[in-house]
Amino acid sequence: MTRKIDVKLYGAFRQYSPNKSVTVSLPAEATVSSLRQAFAEQFDDDNARALLKASAFATDEAVLDEQEPVPSDKPLSILPPVCGG
Amino acid sequence: MMTIHVDTKNEALSTEAALAHCSAPGHGAADLFIGRVRDLNQGRAVNAVSYDLHPLLCCNVFREICEEARAEWGEALHFWLEHRQGRLAVGDDSVVVAVSSPHRDESFKACRYLVEQMKHRAPIWKQEHYVDGDSAWVQGHALCSHG
Repeated sequence: MTRKIDVKLYGAFRQYSPNKSVTVSLPAEATVSSLRQAFAEQFDDDNARALLKASAFATDEAVLDEQEPVPSDKPLSILPPVCGG
Repeated sequence: MMTIHVDTKNEALSTEAALAHCSAPGHGAADLFIGRVRDLNQGRAVNAVSYDLHPLLCCNVFREICEEARAEWGEALHFWLEHRQGRLAVGDDSVVVAVSSPHRDESFKACRYLVEQMKHRAPIWKQEHYVDGDSAWVQGHALCSHG
C-alpha cells in the first residue's frame, strides 16, 4: 500500500517547482531516508540533488531524523541550509 | 506576563515594542540587537534581500532558543525575537532581538546567544538581489546530520 505525500519547498528549492511543493509516493511504513530517495527521483538537476543532500525534512514542529517513520498526519517540508538575520 | 515573545512579520519590526517588552522594575539592563540589510556581500553590490521562512517552525525554534537562554542565564530574563519575511531594501531591519535582565552581563550574553543560534538553527533563507540584476540564494548552515 502506498500513499502520496506533499512536501513544501522553501528557500532555494522554490526555483524547482512553481507549485512550491512536490508530491511523492511512498510505502505506508516509509522512513525519512526513503522519503529522501523518492524526493531525489523528482529532480534531474544536479544542483537540486546536491542541495537535497544538505537539506533536512521537517514537520511544522521539528526537524526529522533519517530513521524516523514519515508522519502520516502532519504537513512536511524540505529545509535547505539556513541563514537568517 | 509572558516573558518570551517570538514572531515572524510581514511588516516593519518595532524596536519600541521590543524594549517595552524587555522591561521590568527589577531589570537594570536591556540589550537590543538589530540586523539590517547590507549593500554589499562578498564583493557584490546588493540592493534588496528577499527573506523566505517557515513561520510555524521558526517560532518553535525561536522559543526553544529563548528557553535555553533562560535556563542558562536566569528565570527573570525577558526575551524578544522577531524576524521579517518578504522583500527588504538596503537598510531595512530584518531581525530584532532584545533581552532584559537584573544585571548587564546576562543581557549581553543571552542576546548574543539568541542571535547566533537563530542564524544557525531557524528555518530562514535569504535571496540577494544584486545591482546588476542577478539574484542568488545565500548559502547557509545545514540542519541535517545524515551525512
